[in-house]
Amino acid sequence: MRSLLFVLSLICFASQTALSWKKEEFRSCDQTPFCKRARSRSPGACSLIASDVSIADGDLVAKLLPKIANQSDEEQIKPLVLSLSVYADGIVRLRIDEDHTLNPPKKRFRVPDVVVSEFDEKKIWLQKVATETIAGDAIPSSVIYVSDGYEAVVRHEPFEVFVREKSGDRRRVVSLNSHGLFDFEQLRKKAEGDNWEEKFRTHTDSRPYGSQSISFDVSFYDSSFVYGIPEHATSFALKPTKGPGVEESEPYRLFNLDVFEYDHESPFGLYGSIPFMVSHGKSGKTSGFFWLNAAEMQIDVLANGWDAESGIALPSSESRIDTLWMSEAGIVDTFFFVGPEPKDVVKQYASVTGTSAMPQLFATGYHQCRWNYKDEEDVAQVDSKFDEHDIPYDVLWLDIEHTDGKRYFTWDSALFPNPEEMQKKLAAKGRRMVTIVDPHIKRDDSYFLHKEATQMGYYVKDSSGKDFDGWCWPGSSSYIDMLSPEIREWWGGRFYYKNYVGSTPSLYIWNDMNEPSVFNGPEVTMPRDALHVGGVEHREVHNAYGYYFHMATSDGLVMREEGKDRPFVLSRAIFPGTQRYGAIWTGDNTAEWEHLRVSIPMLLTLGLTGITFSGADIGGFFGNPEPELLVRWYQVGAYYPFFRGHAHHDTKRREPWLFGERNTELMRDAIHTRYTLLPYFYTLFREANVTGVPVVRPLWMEFPQDEATFSNDEAFMVGNALLVQGVYTKGTTHASVYLPGKASWYDLRNEKTYVGGKTYKMDAPEESIPAFQRAGTIIPRKDRFRRSSSQMDNDPYTLVVALNSTQEADGELYIDDGKSFEFRRGSYIHRRFVFSNGVLTSTNLAPPQARLSSQCSIDRIILLGHTSGPKSALVEPLNQKAEIEMGPLRMGGLVASSGTKVLTIRKPGVRVDQDWTVKVL
Amino acid sequence: MRVLLSTILLLASAIRSSSSPLNDPFLGISPQDEKYYKSSSEIKCKDGSKRFTKAQLNDDFCDCADGTDEPGTSACPNGKFYCRNAGHSPLILFSSRVNDGICDCCDGSDEYGGNVTCPNTCWEAGKAARESLKKKIETYRQGLVVRRKDIEQAKVGLEKDAAELKKLKSEEKILKGLVQQLKERKEEIEKVEEKERLQKEKEEKERKDAELAAQPAKENSEEKTDGNEKVEGSTAGEEMPGASHDDDYPDEDTYHDEIGNYKDSPTDEEPAAEAEPTSILEEATHTNPADEHVVDTKKESPSSEDPLTDGSQNDGSTKKESDEVKKVDDLVSEKKEELSKEELGRLVASRWTGEKSDKPAAEADDTPKADDQENHEHTPITPHEVDEDDGFVSDADEDTADEGKYSDHEPEDDSYEEEHRHDSTSSYKSDAEDDLDLSETTTSNPTWLEKIQKTVKSILQAVNLIQTTPVDKLEADRVRKEYDESSSRLNKIQSRVSSLEKKLKQDFGPEKEFYSFHGRCFESKQGKYTYKVCGYKEATQEEGYSKTRLGEWEKFENSYQFMTYTNGDKCWNGPDRSLKIKLRCGLKNELMDVDEPSRCEYAAVLSTPARCLEDKLKELEQKLEKMMSQDQPHSHDEL
Repeated sequence: MRSLLFVLSLICFASQTALSWKKEEFRSCDQTPFCKRARSRSPGACSLIASDVSIADGDLVAKLLPKIANQSDEEQIKPLVLSLSVYADGIVRLRIDEDHTLNPPKKRFRVPDVVVSEFDEKKIWLQKVATETIAGDAIPSSVIYVSDGYEAVVRHEPFEVFVREKSGDRRRVVSLNSHGLFDFEQLRKKAEGDNWEEKFRTHTDSRPYGSQSISFDVSFYDSSFVYGIPEHATSFALKPTKGPGVEESEPYRLFNLDVFEYDHESPFGLYGSIPFMVSHGKSGKTSGFFWLNAAEMQIDVLANGWDAESGIALPSSESRIDTLWMSEAGIVDTFFFVGPEPKDVVKQYASVTGTSAMPQLFATGYHQCRWNYKDEEDVAQVDSKFDEHDIPYDVLWLDIEHTDGKRYFTWDSALFPNPEEMQKKLAAKGRRMVTIVDPHIKRDDSYFLHKEATQMGYYVKDSSGKDFDGWCWPGSSSYIDMLSPEIREWWGGRFYYKNYVGSTPSLYIWNDMNEPSVFNGPEVTMPRDALHVGGVEHREVHNAYGYYFHMATSDGLVMREEGKDRPFVLSRAIFPGTQRYGAIWTGDNTAEWEHLRVSIPMLLTLGLTGITFSGADIGGFFGNPEPELLVRWYQVGAYYPFFRGHAHHDTKRREPWLFGERNTELMRDAIHTRYTLLPYFYTLFREANVTGVPVVRPLWMEFPQDEATFSNDEAFMVGNALLVQGVYTKGTTHASVYLPGKASWYDLRNEKTYVGGKTYKMDAPEESIPAFQRAGTIIPRKDRFRRSSSQMDNDPYTLVVALNSTQEADGELYIDDGKSFEFRRGSYIHRRFVFSNGVLTSTNLAPPQARLSSQCSIDRIILLGHTSGPKSALVEPLNQKAEIEMGPLRMGGLVASSGTKVLTIRKPGVRVDQDWTVKVL
Repeated sequence: MRVLLSTILLLASAIRSSSSPLNDPFLGISPQDEKYYKSSSEIKCKDGSKRFTKAQLNDDFCDCADGTDEPGTSACPNGKFYCRNAGHSPLILFSSRVNDGICDCCDGSDEYGGNVTCPNTCWEAGKAARESLKKKIETYRQGLVVRRKDIEQAKVGLEKDAAELKKLKSEEKILKGLVQQLKERKEEIEKVEEKERLQKEKEEKERKDAELAAQPAKENSEEKTDGNEKVEGSTAGEEMPGASHDDDYPDEDTYHDEIGNYKDSPTDEEPAAEAEPTSILEEATHTNPADEHVVDTKKESPSSEDPLTDGSQNDGSTKKESDEVKKVDDLVSEKKEELSKEELGRLVASRWTGEKSDKPAAEADDTPKADDQENHEHTPITPHEVDEDDGFVSDADEDTADEGKYSDHEPEDDSYEEEHRHDSTSSYKSDAEDDLDLSETTTSNPTWLEKIQKTVKSILQAVNLIQTTPVDKLEADRVRKEYDESSSRLNKIQSRVSSLEKKLKQDFGPEKEFYSFHGRCFESKQGKYTYKVCGYKEATQEEGYSKTRLGEWEKFENSYQFMTYTNGDKCWNGPDRSLKIKLRCGLKNELMDVDEPSRCEYAAVLSTPARCLEDKLKELEQKLEKMMSQDQPHSHDEL
């Protein structure tokens, strides 16, 4: 026994000191049979042809048949059913499934609850199909209307589907199966002697239905780069994974996994999966492709010339990007987005999967987290230190150790004897608390939640039908089956105050480990043959598991306040639609400069694919950041849509005041920067909520024609007005910044003006990273520093008007109560500010029935780039004069002390909810 | 009565809050500062950047970057707001607290914007603050008495130490001379003996060539007796106090070396031999308190007398073990299948937690993350000081607010109230060997040296008398015995001298008020742990028989407000353990609130009379005087 103990301890230690990312514990494509098979196929003519094309229920429907009828009955490929639908604004949906009338052994899983119900209303009912014979084809193809500028083509033989422009040379936009790689493994009945098991390391997957994978190629035309398909820690513009001139790598993997100490440069799958890819090209046009499928997916981005041997000639080969999509199960349910503007594509995608939820104002402030704030005294201490150092923050977080033995919805009675009182103390200062609730439930017969879930049969089952038992934080655990709406409803009810004892209205929730993470499962997750309600295999639903959990929790928070309070739930796992339920973060990153750098492409990718409310742990979860790295991280992180500091329990404490007065000052200034910009951020969150356009954007989303921006993932736009360049290297006081477009840019630190379209070497001293306001924009700010966003409600606004070459600028401001759903009923203020001909005008953008009022005034208007030296301004309808003087560009902080003085209209005395003009005299 | 009072206060505050700030253009300005604002019609920003008119003072628009023009509003980010807080102490706030809907000043003057109504609570708060201050002053007063006593004692103790050291040094000198003389004599005798032996041999050889075999046996046995005596001597020495502490005594003497060797193995040698193997082994040793590995080596080394052989053997075994480790490593990466499902789960979990999963089935209890939880298992938190309850976040009397153990703030003010004590704590004299005193040999028996001197003299004389061969066997043995005893005694004295010198070099504080900490330990029980802090020595965390070193004594910091212990046991994935102890005035030396705010960085509070400083007491008394002299609100006089 003794020696066993000794060996075990050695095992444990040895494994801990080994390389952090344990590559061998995860499957490579070669170890994943469906991926290996699909990847080894060569492009060529597809063995299927489309026939029986007709219109039914407003869709184009057809059958996919084998080109050559099979002799052997055994191996016969049964016809597949194809349907193609068209939706408003340039969206084509293509679905291919087995023919249910032929009695397949099992219905393949179609992911419910992701496509929003309003999407159906956008359907364009097809009336007729045109035919056209494509040059060289033996039989004609079917052509249908998509929109005024676009049409979709279903080519019958060889089978291919594409969208093209109607006019000009009828340029193709996106196509599927142009290389004939389409393959659809049909479900079969297991025959005597069939062994479909798959083994990986210690785990065996029983695979009762055998192979059921699907793969096909997708081509993007007029494309310089493709982007999207998070979540990977890699560059924003996706590097090719295969083909001539590229070092062959793994395909981009989409499989939600809890990866310990992930690498900062890898196509490896992380916590979330969004099979949505966006292409952008030199002509400035953008298109997108989305495959709604929750099974494991692998995607190759192919380098030019990969198909040299195939003999297939496709249009515009020089700027085309081909991709190969492979999935283990499910059906083909794909969406083609025609663009053509970048924002069109994200809007089109948002019309399918929904726009991001409107967050509460507090959630856009700064969050302070650590694994773990240990007890109530610790919480009180951290809270008071923020005040002592005059650093605002909105939310204090409690990680897993606050619970009684990792039983969610409970409190450790010794450490947190009075949770309600603790929350109330924070709430008295307008602050919220977040506690963690994960999907794994401790298998403990005395735990009420486990008892109930067991009795009700609410757990995911293993392949033998028993409650699945896996290992996670609490030890032996079972996992709530979130696929079922009934169970989700029950789960939501757990958040009623009476059920979650010790919770108060200022408590919100964090969903971690929802990939799901199973420490002793294959690849640290649930076995693929585990069973969900309705006999759905886990393999079919895996990537959506965390999404459903997030959904159930978020809906639960809505229920507990009877629909009056917007929920806040942070999730780690993601799937298309996650944006409707809350924020996400990029998981367990590391305190290294490279992890700071990669956070930007990761967040840009998430934003592009719908998940705009995202952030990376400030400082890096693992390890101890040197103060310089931490400061730089705060400076960039202040512009993350989700702004949270977090750390592993083995790390040193790193609250902003622990690194000497100077560093405290620097971090305070970064956090203050965020708070002054909250009105702008909130307005952008509203824009994302309405349109799907993300808060933080790649430069090319604002400058689609500017080729120099296409692969830039070190700088990013916050809205359309701010460009931010992070500093990602140690000891640097300069940064090379490319300022796109033709308009000028104003350095927000010193009002210096730069002409667009050039790269500049900018100063980046320790107190700031480069940030620029684009000429022609207006940014609303609140310059008073409070303890938290709640106290800023009545504070006056500052408008920063950055004039362009024609002395014009415009911008918007959105205001609501910051917490309820009343804005849905029109209770909000939406203003448009336009500066033109020397007059700044505020007009209403809200519909007439909008009826929120505000006492807030605008007490400062800053004019950047004004050509004359006006002395005063006339305010109408008050018919009052306001002085114009030279004032600071930014209030307080370190930057203001640099002494830059800018033209400032002093106390115009106008209210934010009213129409007015301010004329510069 | 109460209701009436609060009604009055409410009314008063309601009237105040409805009044516009313009009614008092000098709102938020401290009395000392009023002159600055009232002197002229154009006022300068204090940073010199700008001038502003009286109309711009408190007009809710920030003109001066430093906030000079907006002392009474929240317009300037860098501004400061002064509230008078009649009945309590004045307070200076960040101006961001003005009209933010939260009552910060007990007189409510920071909230005039109508967002919230703040009742005036200064009198109650002030009263509580005064009470608490009084209590604190009392603690300081009493503590100061104890402190003075301690200082007196320290003086005596130090004098005693110095006297002892002086005495020992002179004794050392004399003894050294004697030992030298004895040594010379011993060598002389041995030379003669050798000569005799050779002579004898020669004679024997000549005389009895045939019976050669029997003779050496006798000599051998003689030598053996010699050796035995030596060993006996050293054993006797070890039993005597102080003898075990000459490890680091730099003695070239062969005799001493032997003892060293004897004692050193195996424990001292083992770490050196193990410096080679990977840290894996070290960790393994850590994880298993009753480690077999150590036992193994122990078995090996004493059997071999030769340290060289010993070492190489160790090397051999080390290599073998690291090979084993490698094998295990492979096993992990390739054949995780050998682990049970549970072991695998624990193993993967341990990556995040850093916890050792070396007790697989042993604890299928509630706490899989036991290592981590352990840190939390301290007694429920009870409020420490009355001050906290006054409901004011930023009390002017910041000093009295309990900073708590997580605070990095100067603690100088924290006095400790006995009745709130919640740790089980104790202090006692360290059983540390450092202090083993030689009193028996030294002070209590002043004539021992003389005795030795006499004996030596007599020996030397006696031996002198019989200069000629053959050597008197009895006399020779007497010389040898005397030499052994004296040099052993000398060792002890030297060891004591060095320990005394070390002690006297320690930093006992400006008034030697920490002298009593030397050789003293303070203990605090928290949950299943016992924390033990020994002055000028080490700090440990004990759980049953397992002991973790939190650190070795390092120094005082921040002018004796903190004690630090560093270089404790290594932490998995973390720093070496360390402990920082905040010192505050209290009547007794008591350790409390030990915690681990950051992984493996421990913090604790020690209340001690040593920190009950006179200056501080005066300061507190003045503060109280000032508080008492403040005008009481009129309404209270009536009540």
